[in-house]
Amino acid sequence: MPLWFARGLRRGIVTTHYPARPDPSAACLPTPPAFRTGMIDRQLAGELVAAGPSQALHRDGDVLVFDVSRCTACGRCQEVAPLAVTPSGEFELAGTSQAAFVKKIGLVLEAGQ
Amino acid sequence: MTTLQPRPGPAASLLTAINGTTLRDRGGAETVAVPAAQLETAAHHLAAGGARLADLFAADGDQVTLRLIWGFDTERQYLITETPLDSPEYPPLSDIAPAAFTEECEIYEQFGVRPASGKPLNRVALPPHAGKDFPRLGHQPPEAPAEAHAPHTVGGQAFEFPFGPVRQVGVESLYYGLVTSGEEIVDLYLFTWHKHRGLEWRLRGRRPAEAMFLAERTEGLSATAVTWALAAAVESALGAEPPPGALLTRGIALELERLYNHAAAMAALCQSTGLSVGQAAAEIALERLLRVNAATFGHRYLFGVLDAGGVRRAPDQAALRDGLPGAYGELRRAADALLGTNSFMDRLEATGIVTTEQARRLGLVGPVARAAGVPIDSRLDQPTAPYSVHPPALAVRDAGDVLARFRVMLDEAADSVRLIGDLLDAGPGDGATALPTGGGSGLGWAESPRGEALAWVSLDADGRITRARLRPASVRNWRGFDDAARSQNVFTDIPIIEASFWLTVAGTAR
Repeated sequence: MPLWFARGLRRGIVTTHYPARPDPSAACLPTPPAFRTGMIDRQLAGELVAAGPSQALHRDGDVLVFDVSRCTACGRCQEVAPLAVTPSGEFELAGTSQAAFVKKIGLVLEAGQ
Repeated sequence: MTTLQPRPGPAASLLTAINGTTLRDRGGAETVAVPAAQLETAAHHLAAGGARLADLFAADGDQVTLRLIWGFDTERQYLITETPLDSPEYPPLSDIAPAAFTEECEIYEQFGVRPASGKPLNRVALPPHAGKDFPRLGHQPPEAPAEAHAPHTVGGQAFEFPFGPVRQVGVESLYYGLVTSGEEIVDLYLFTWHKHRGLEWRLRGRRPAEAMFLAERTEGLSATAVTWALAAAVESALGAEPPPGALLTRGIALELERLYNHAAAMAALCQSTGLSVGQAAAEIALERLLRVNAATFGHRYLFGVLDAGGVRRAPDQAALRDGLPGAYGELRRAADALLGTNSFMDRLEATGIVTTEQARRLGLVGPVARAAGVPIDSRLDQPTAPYSVHPPALAVRDAGDVLARFRVMLDEAADSVRLIGDLLDAGPGDGATALPTGGGSGLGWAESPRGEALAWVSLDADGRITRARLRPASVRNWRGFDDAARSQNVFTDIPIIEASFWLTVAGTAR
């Protein structure tokens, strides 16, 4: 028992304070994507929608709709277009309505479209 | 249909007994056609020959086809029998191999066909409200399954104590029916269907790459093992060979999965025995192992590593070599302290005993079976790369109690660290072989932290899944939990036994 007492004092410290600074280990966690506007056309949007397994992406006319609340940060869309889609670095998501999680990305239209 | 010559061994012996034919022989699994009229003879022949009934499932085509997967662990192969049924009943296989009972119940729920014995079948996966429009793989049974797990009205001094399905924060939905005389457990039954998600139904029509996403969510704590089994099944069906470096990467991911699961089981054992400092120590080790996973593969629970035909990413070797010794050292220090704590060891010893005979009869796998003296490990018994070149050390104990399971887990954790070092030295890589076009069927397997995980898949000519069977180890081992809980244990032993089994409801309910 003295062994456990000593270990408890040394290692079993629990804090409920929110971390004052980001934990370094968070740097390698997967995060939802960030989409670069001006780089995604209709064809690429179709490929991104097809790559996503959790229906977080869909097209609404000439808009790519991204519902981050459905995103599992699987990284498949980033593999499809690594220049246009990058990790957002944001994994702490909160909102008071479903609409707060939906982002709309305008697609690049070619002349005549 | 092409008829093949069976290789010498179990299949040839079976074919002689029933005058059957070999349909396929791929990747360590031979498929044999067994007519319905010969199924009982075949099951008797295989069971008498020492074969282990590893799985039983059905598929719906023009008629329901029953498939039995038999493990020949000393001959290092699997044998699949394929039987198209021409009536809604088939021979009572669980009378021959008791391990088949849960699958008989599942097949009745999903396909409406049942063993000819007329015995009551339990509800195991589909909820009571599952009507004719409920998504199922086949046809609705003519009558709802019975709730025949245990008597709901008990006589004498005994009474039933319902517990769950909501039990505590962060624990999966599971309903316990505890029949007790006040302290000692007289009987116990479980309802697992609250977590049913219809995953095998959802996999139909998907391409293998899409299926991986769902497979790794079947049992999140076995993401690598279940996905590996499904990927191997697809590769067997299509004749694809993953790059050697990718197979080494799979091995590293699977051993990391084993390490963090065993650390989590140790923390759960401490929690269930009320040893909060030990729990904190084990959870520190667990957190460090999860961080090693994230640094190595980009995900704490190793999601997104495997792909059909190979892997999607290579390990960060520097991060793994840098982080693993410290994380495992934390685990080892906590384990050593626990092994020297009498109040902890007393709770584990002679608790939740599973005998060798029970483990064999119920077809148990993994640490639960190995702690009961059954030396099975698919990494050794049905070895595939990289384990055919880098074999693990088999950890076996005889006592069959919680302490034996704990010791098996500790031995395996130590060996996983050694294996990871060997696999790193062998040069793991990434990449995947492009899957050939065309259809086919195949069996895949991997040794998850809970034991043998199996997957069988059938693909159409377009490469889409027509039937995927996922059988994580939890499906097998929950059926041993009842017996372990009844072995002269009291109420407070149940959480300890559950922690030592370290199973998931998600894996069995799917």
